[in-house]
Amino acid sequence: MSQGSATVRGTSASSPAGRTPSLWRRMRGPQGRNLWYAAFAAPFIIGLLVFVYIPIGWSTYLSFFEARATIRPTKFVGLDNYTYLLSDPIFRSSLVTFMIFALFIVPVTYVCSLGLALLLNGVRWGQAFFRSVFFIPTAVSYVVAAMVWRLSFFNGARFGLANSMLRQFGGENKAWLLGGDNYWYWFVVISLRLWLQVGFYMILIIAGLNRIPFETYEAAAIDGATGWKRLLYVTLPQLRTTTVAVLMLLLIGAFQAFDEFLNLFGGIGTYPNFARPPLVHLYLISLGGSQQDLGLGGAGTIIVTGLIVLFGLAQTWLVNRSERKERR
Amino acid sequence: MSMVQSKRDRGLIGLRYVVLVVLAVFFLLPFYVIVRNAFSDNSTIVAARWQWIPEKFDFSVLQRLFADEQLGILKALGNSAVVSVLQTSLTVFVALLAGYALSRLDNVVGKILTSLTLFTLMVPAAVTFLPTFVMTAQFGWIDSIRGLVIPVMFSAFATYLFRQTFLNFPRELEEAAAIDGANPWTTFWRVVVPNSMGIIGAVGTITFIGSWNAFLWPLLISRSQTPTIQIVLSQFMTSQGVKYPELFAGALVAIVPVVLVFLFLQRFLVQGVETSGIK
Amino acid sequence: MNLSRRHLFAAAGGIAAAATVSACGDNSGGVGTTTSPTAATSGSATGASSQASNVTLQQWYHEYGEAGVKEAVEKYAAEYTDAKVTVTWNPGDYGKKLSAALLTNDFPDVFEVEQGGSLDMIQAGQLAELNDIFDPVKDQFNPAVVKRFTYDGKIYGIPQVVDMQLLYYRKSALEKAGKQPPKTFAELVDVANAVATGDMGGFFAGNDGGLGVLGTMFIWASGHEQLDEGRTKGAFLTPEFYDAVKAYADFYKNGKGLLKSASKEWYDGTPFADGETAMQWGGLWSVTDIKAKLGDDFGVLPFPAMGAKGRPAVPFGAFGACVAAKGKNVEAAKAFVKWLWIDQEEKQIDFADSYGTHIPSKTALVPKATKLADGAGADAAKFVAESGFTNDIMWSGALGEAYGAALSNAITKGVDPAEAFKGFADKVAAELKRLKG
Repeated sequence: MSQGSATVRGTSASSPAGRTPSLWRRMRGPQGRNLWYAAFAAPFIIGLLVFVYIPIGWSTYLSFFEARATIRPTKFVGLDNYTYLLSDPIFRSSLVTFMIFALFIVPVTYVCSLGLALLLNGVRWGQAFFRSVFFIPTAVSYVVAAMVWRLSFFNGARFGLANSMLRQFGGENKAWLLGGDNYWYWFVVISLRLWLQVGFYMILIIAGLNRIPFETYEAAAIDGATGWKRLLYVTLPQLRTTTVAVLMLLLIGAFQAFDEFLNLFGGIGTYPNFARPPLVHLYLISLGGSQQDLGLGGAGTIIVTGLIVLFGLAQTWLVNRSERKERR
Repeated sequence: MSMVQSKRDRGLIGLRYVVLVVLAVFFLLPFYVIVRNAFSDNSTIVAARWQWIPEKFDFSVLQRLFADEQLGILKALGNSAVVSVLQTSLTVFVALLAGYALSRLDNVVGKILTSLTLFTLMVPAAVTFLPTFVMTAQFGWIDSIRGLVIPVMFSAFATYLFRQTFLNFPRELEEAAAIDGANPWTTFWRVVVPNSMGIIGAVGTITFIGSWNAFLWPLLISRSQTPTIQIVLSQFMTSQGVKYPELFAGALVAIVPVVLVFLFLQRFLVQGVETSGIK
Repeated sequence: MNLSRRHLFAAAGGIAAAATVSACGDNSGGVGTTTSPTAATSGSATGASSQASNVTLQQWYHEYGEAGVKEAVEKYAAEYTDAKVTVTWNPGDYGKKLSAALLTNDFPDVFEVEQGGSLDMIQAGQLAELNDIFDPVKDQFNPAVVKRFTYDGKIYGIPQVVDMQLLYYRKSALEKAGKQPPKTFAELVDVANAVATGDMGGFFAGNDGGLGVLGTMFIWASGHEQLDEGRTKGAFLTPEFYDAVKAYADFYKNGKGLLKSASKEWYDGTPFADGETAMQWGGLWSVTDIKAKLGDDFGVLPFPAMGAKGRPAVPFGAFGACVAAKGKNVEAAKAFVKWLWIDQEEKQIDFADSYGTHIPSKTALVPKATKLADGAGADAAKFVAESGFTNDIMWSGALGEAYGAALSNAITKGVDPAEAFKGFADKVAAELKRLKG
């Protein structure tokens, strides 16, 4: 099952009924199959349009209006919401922080997941057990996980596990989540994120690894590629399609960071002004905080989406470029 | 997987196990903490010295949770189960058909629909869900199972996963069926679905977890009739203060069902992703 | 930390509980008479609702922490005869749930809102004006609360009970260190540093070092208001304010007496009651629990004056009972609100005093609240009357955010306050202009 999608598309491209038939014929496909497929897709597409695209369109519409505590605004303000947000130092610093966060967390999560996958693939006995152990945090909600991290592991008071350990080794209590000039909260957030997410990506990578034909390794072994070399010149290139997908999911996830932050730092209706991902900020502005500015919320959504698309394209371009280089 | 093992690899195998065991301990630590705190009283939890094994266990918290009729934890568990099962089956059904269609529609329509699907993954939902909520209210679905399920059951992620899988599905099987006169609907159910149970299980597991753990959507939709377990448990962390033992006992109640379902289904998940893969 | 209005109320609200009065309803007769003019005004309302005695009203509360409140409000609703009132109890994030519901066609008729309605809600026309039922009895209510609830001469919520925050101190701990209860912020720092030991912190105001909950206190306690009379600009960006911020920054950085992490948050009285700290900034709602643990070994104070022009200050706030402007039975809903929160004084006292510690919003009822009769409760009621402050209605979330960001730079990162607040004056002016539309 290891044929690349490129080959599949290649074979299918040759199957359509040639160039001569009318457009309608071509659209219907052989034996009207495309009509069947359209019918298959219809429920999903309709649902998507109604429950996803209408809200997206609505938010976009709101972004051009002054829409405080209303979804039927009357006062058109053009791009005011956009300029307001882009000149808001809190939102700006949040965007910058989370671009840096994405540049950091995407490779780190990828490397950790890959590391676990490789580690697991190198053992036989107990493989299923360890795989379950690494994977099972996926089942835990952000709410519960954040609770354990915030209230037990990294509680700033003396009874937190981390602080108890610190004191045992002669250290002092640390206020982990305090912020200010104390950046330890990043450690808390990142460890939480990795715990929750690494298992899932590990599974995707294991699947990718398993699709690498045995013969490729054999050939590499004959050429004397072992250890790191094998990883660099055999495993990673063969894993490229999986890598692209995983990186894209990670990138989207990094920019859409929300739940773990809200649950780690937020109180009821309150949120500190550090460790604030763009989405949390927008959420506070438009729904979860003390104001309900849906115009700003809509504008922010568009800005963040734009950034994700931009970074996604850049990432794809980078990966493709390295591929081209290799081919040369 | 079968891997060529060099002698050096074999030499390192012991080290690998050491690393695995250490990592496993760290991965399991949070579960241990939940259980420890759920069976401790407040003084144990906030004790200055960390007690790996609580000096006195307190089993009454869990009992109290279930006995508290005001809290209605059993009803909430029931609601969560209904919502999760419904959402999982509907999402899988709808996405399965659509994913297959998108993988087979190799004309411009297919491309557009696929891009439409992919694009929604990039739009953050935290803000757009307010309009979704208003629409749901317009339909009169507030505080109903319908309202909890239908607006969130059209998963672009699930559809995308299915599509990527079916791109790799060997077409010879379908073509053989087509020659026998089967239409795509019949072919799909007789040939494609039975050979894709792995990915179906995988998507089902992920959807179930997501639905069971959902918080923001039920917070807005459910009122007195349809509280879910996550909403009920949020009561222990109010601005009045935090009730540690209750909070963790509640967390235990909330994760046990989903972990059980997960352990049961995860072989499908592993299998599913392995046979098809994301590309 | 978010310093918005909601912040105070997030806490106060959650807590909500108990109030103070005990009740004897002996002057309820008198009240009946006083309210008779209202009865006349609202005669039409009553008429309407009696015509439609099969009207059903939806009423929402947020989740009050104290046992018994839910049963109490359900009982109140059941006793109302002119309409059938269904109470919904909302655990979790009530504010979010309510504001989302008000955007739809499926919302409650009567509901409680912090500070009697947000600017957004008022400007979006979500709340019904209650002047016709409120104006005749306006003088009976706590003037500070009425002032805060009124916007452009209109009132949109009837104050239910008043909540406030204050400084708790442990008498024995201060005595041991030979210190008097602090009257100024400098003294507070001195006391905190003196009483702090390895086991007990000096002063605790939340796990963020106090920034969130104390943020706006620096404005009031240094002798300022948030905005000027006309709400056109900030009224606090002075050297005195900067000195106050600097004083706290110094305490934050160098004071060993500031406890930055405790087992619970500031709004939970447990850290103080359990001896984790000798002083704690907390809510009046905790007084019952603290008394149970410490007996008489504690006292309460307002936040002490900061600097030469300073004055003591306590923040207060109140939930207001509001009516949805677009509801199907606005008049019936108003009649119910009038009945419960204006006429039924016994119920108001019961609500304020029987379950937790709150201050009744009608001045005349305060002496009837048993929990406010003496000790800490009595002091607290006095603080609100003399030194009570609350966020201006135009101190919006965005302003709160910006203020919090500047403050946090000044306090946690040691930026010079004047530098940290540079440009803030423009921000305030622009935001106020934006809010006025």
